[in-house]
Amino acid sequence: MAEILGSFEQAVLLAILRLREGAYGRAILNEVQERMERDVAAGAVHATLVRLERKGLITSSLGPGTPVRGGRARRFYRLEPAGLRALNEARAAVDVLWRGLEWPLKGYA
Amino acid sequence: MSIDATPPGWAEALLRASLTPGDSDSVSGDLLEQYRESVRPARGRRRADLWYVTQVLGFVWRSARLWAALFAVAFLARTALDWLVPPADFHARANVSTLLGAGIVLLAAFRAASRSGSFAAGPVIGLATAAIAAPIELAGAMTLLAGWHDPITMAAIRSSGGLAEVLTLPLLMLLPGIVLGSIGGILGAAVNRLRSA
Repeated sequence: MAEILGSFEQAVLLAILRLREGAYGRAILNEVQERMERDVAAGAVHATLVRLERKGLITSSLGPGTPVRGGRARRFYRLEPAGLRALNEARAAVDVLWRGLEWPLKGYA
Repeated sequence: MSIDATPPGWAEALLRASLTPGDSDSVSGDLLEQYRESVRPARGRRRADLWYVTQVLGFVWRSARLWAALFAVAFLARTALDWLVPPADFHARANVSTLLGAGIVLLAAFRAASRSGSFAAGPVIGLATAAIAAPIELAGAMTLLAGWHDPITMAAIRSSGGLAEVLTLPLLMLLPGIVLGSIGGILGAAVNRLRSA
């Protein structure tokens, strides 16, 4: 089995999956913050995107800027088949761990 | 939303110095967009500027933390050897460890400047490396002292320059961090220009 993704990597990949055509840096940051219900550093998301791209799980391309960005380009991210596979494997690994238990847990402690 | 609102210029320069040319525009654009559309309208200018600076320091931290860890390990290894395995002559060991520390900062600055193409990345990463390493070095030295403070070790500490040197050196390294970082920055930016020529 391939290397299992960390939870933050999964959050970033799932944000890209949800945002589809609109998956660029700031949108991913906001989506991750919303889902994780906490402030997330832009640098943490950027470092994760760089790492995921290096692993071949996502690809990126530059798009046009907007006036509010001072005309600076947006970098859009796309999930690759390897990224989808990694997400499925991560989900399957968690499902295996939980198999046979009812959620939410009650009466075990 | 305030489309003309601008974060501190020095912080933006610092951000660009920490990024590769390929990411410089898109990442600084993302932060500017977030600053103008979300943070500034919700928090006001001063707190929005603070948010921006914090985000930039996060990028600098990520660029320098591994080098800082290496630098701190080199410092603590020398301290431990001086205290626990004292040589007859400290000078040779001091020269080797000084060269090693300087080499780490130079390499960090060179790599940052050659990747970003900006000379400024050198002194920024040089200073950040020394600044992040300083508390690790101080905590490490205090831990060593807590574990080994018998009369023989205390005599070795005195012969190697004394406790004051070990506790002040990490802070004194901030200035050499900038100087060595600048040298690494010049070399790195020059290599970047040669590569793109």
